[in-house]
Amino acid sequence: MTEILRVDQATKTYGKRGEKQYQALKGVNFGVDAGEFVAIMGASGSGKTTLLNILSTLDKPTTGHVFINHEDISTLNANQMADFRSKQIGFIFQDFNLLENLTNRENIALPLTLQGVPARKIDPLVDRITERLGIKEILAKYPAELSGGQKQRVASARALVHEPAILLADEPTGALDSTSARELLDTMADLNQKDGVTTLMVTHDPFSASFANRILFIKDGKIGEQLLKKDQSRQDFYHLLIEHLGTEE
Amino acid sequence: MIWKLSLTGIKSRLKDYLVLFSGLVVASMIFYMFLTLAINPAFLKSNSGILQDNLITFIFGFGIALLMIITVVYLVYANSFLLSMRKHDYGMFLTLGAKSSRIGLLIFCETLITGLMATVLGIILGFGLTALVGHLLISRLGLVIAHFQVILPSAILGTLAFFIVVFFLGALRNVYKLTRTKVIDLLHEDQEPVKFKQRPVLHSIEAVLGLVLLAAGYWIMQRRGLDPFNVIPIALVTIVAGSYFVFNSLFTAIIGYLINHRKFSYCGIRMFTLGQLKFRLHDYTKILTVISLLFALALGAITVGLNFNSEKEMTKSSIYYDATIISKSPAVQKELAKVSIKSKQTYHYKETKHGLYFKRAEFKNQPIKAIKTKGQGDSLTWSEKTLPTSQLDCAGTETNNEFGNLLPNGIEKKIYLVSASALAKVKGQQKFISLIRVNDFDKDFPALLKLEQLQNKETPAFHTVYTGSKPYSYQGILGIISGFEFMGFFLGLAFLTMLASTLMFKVLSSAANDKLRYQMLFKVGTRRQALKRSVAEEIGMLFLMPGILGIIDVLFGLQLFRTILVRPYAGIWLPFTIFIVLYFFYYVLTVHLYEKIVLAKN
Repeated sequence: MTEILRVDQATKTYGKRGEKQYQALKGVNFGVDAGEFVAIMGASGSGKTTLLNILSTLDKPTTGHVFINHEDISTLNANQMADFRSKQIGFIFQDFNLLENLTNRENIALPLTLQGVPARKIDPLVDRITERLGIKEILAKYPAELSGGQKQRVASARALVHEPAILLADEPTGALDSTSARELLDTMADLNQKDGVTTLMVTHDPFSASFANRILFIKDGKIGEQLLKKDQSRQDFYHLLIEHLGTEE
Repeated sequence: MIWKLSLTGIKSRLKDYLVLFSGLVVASMIFYMFLTLAINPAFLKSNSGILQDNLITFIFGFGIALLMIITVVYLVYANSFLLSMRKHDYGMFLTLGAKSSRIGLLIFCETLITGLMATVLGIILGFGLTALVGHLLISRLGLVIAHFQVILPSAILGTLAFFIVVFFLGALRNVYKLTRTKVIDLLHEDQEPVKFKQRPVLHSIEAVLGLVLLAAGYWIMQRRGLDPFNVIPIALVTIVAGSYFVFNSLFTAIIGYLINHRKFSYCGIRMFTLGQLKFRLHDYTKILTVISLLFALALGAITVGLNFNSEKEMTKSSIYYDATIISKSPAVQKELAKVSIKSKQTYHYKETKHGLYFKRAEFKNQPIKAIKTKGQGDSLTWSEKTLPTSQLDCAGTETNNEFGNLLPNGIEKKIYLVSASALAKVKGQQKFISLIRVNDFDKDFPALLKLEQLQNKETPAFHTVYTGSKPYSYQGILGIISGFEFMGFFLGLAFLTMLASTLMFKVLSSAANDKLRYQMLFKVGTRRQALKRSVAEEIGMLFLMPGILGIIDVLFGLQLFRTILVRPYAGIWLPFTIFIVLYFFYYVLTVHLYEKIVLAKN
């Protein structure tokens, strides 16, 4: 298996030298292989957001390295990081982060236009991904006209249209009702299994995490144990996870 | 406690406050200056000699009325900017359990105190501005004023009263708006989705109607032979409505077309920029209409004001001789010694009860000259002409009339050109007349005017010559021009400052909401430079659209001034350049401040 993501001894310290410092990440190590669906679980203040910011190249680790597709993103400058994000990473945010002044089609096309994909190739690519996600009929609408579940599907299409190396999802079901949440997670799992989309999801919700193949637990800035789904059903994996959370100190 | 919190809130947004505050200070400063100039007793007293009906007071009074209108518009937007800055804080205070009546009082006091402080500071700075402008105006008009009052209590009270009333109403409006808004909306207004309805048929009709109305307005303004007082109201209605429809539909349609033209829009974040503009236009229709009209008024005021300057040149060019000398009194000779004479034509004559007898031979070497005008409007030209000596004494001819105007009693009495021997036989008073031209009229103007005035006092018959003389006409036109020039200039600048600030505040008011969009774009991998370019392009379009429409309005609107200005388009580049440079400065400032809010690193 090819490794898509590798985090090597990453630390993150906030606060200047001589001032009161706070270490949010204390030497994080883990890897994600191509085609994996990994969830990172942790409580508030565990370092989840800091880790996600670093993985998404919005921030840099204080020490250590992060490789995505074998490229060390901790050495990139601001412009290189922006270009890297637009090409290699797909994002799904909790609050969708769709641009209200663009139609859904235009929202989805954005990562392609940023990469300078020729105009004539853009619409077919948008059509392909939206057909896959079942949202083709709402493309001409504006995000404000959609339900939460539809919005998150549009956001997913935007995250995947440019075929990124990895899909980063930050509490993707946080703003959805239970039915929409379930539908979205099913879709993510389906994309992972059938299309081989490598996915890394950060969440504190055990139900969401149970859709992953592997769950990493982050606590006090460190990755601790991990749970593997292996051949279990999702329900069994969920129960295992609940049990694990219940026995955790 | 709430007051302390309020002060902390203000401190945290001090920079935005300073922008708002300085805008308010400039508004009250200019207002005070206008009021002081318009009602200054010393100024009015000295002026009344030059200008009948206190023309300058009227001009400045008119300026004040226009200034009041724009100030109110400006303050409304400044006020909404103030409110948008504080909304979140107020919402938080309410969440913490503060009573809404107490918050209402807080908002009321904050608005009023901010306004009052800015007004007082503006008036104090206004003293300096008034002194400077007053000095320039006085020297331009050639007045000697002993007690020009820079600090005028009635102007101070007037400015204070006007601003307090406006701020009072603004404060009430803020209280009303905030107390009617739900706390949750105050806190999360920026997350409210923007709703935008597409009505292609209605918008197409509007777009066509807008263009037709604008064209009708422009057409009627350049029609000749219509009374401007009838044209102005019609043009105003058609242009206001036309501009509104154009902004509401035509520009939106153009942007919509560009968005659908995928080759153009699918390029970087151009789609986003266009989408932003499309949504903004929907929200900005009214303000862009107002701004395009104010832009036109301001630019028109400066252009017309400065254009009156060309009337000065015209007055100088339309009269051939710079002065007429008929006296040898020491006072006259003393003044005459001060001027640098380029040419001097002296004629001797005898005046009887019915006629003026000239020596014909004297005209042979120094014929009488005059100015011949040709063409109209922009093609008007002046050239020298020699009055044919043979016709000088032919009663009823134009030549005879022109010559007569140069002489004391020249119209009332018959003119004869006779031989030296015949002149010797005429029984009458021996007199002379010298027609002079100087090397530099502008430089010698005060002495020439004095010369004419002295002779007017000495000889009653000189009065007609005096009132037709170049120095007298020039003096008259100078008074009117300086008034118009200064009013046009300062009113134009005041308008520009306020309209550009209004647009600036409107843009900045929405910056907090836009921030999320730029953050999102950054997250999906947009380079910072691309975001900056998008901001510059978007705000650029918002400034450019009313600017261009305003310029077109002015170009057609100047046609209205054909009756009072010979060349309404002469030297048009100067006011346009001044205006565009200042407008551009505001654009750059707005982009800078907006970027600081939406692209803040955090």
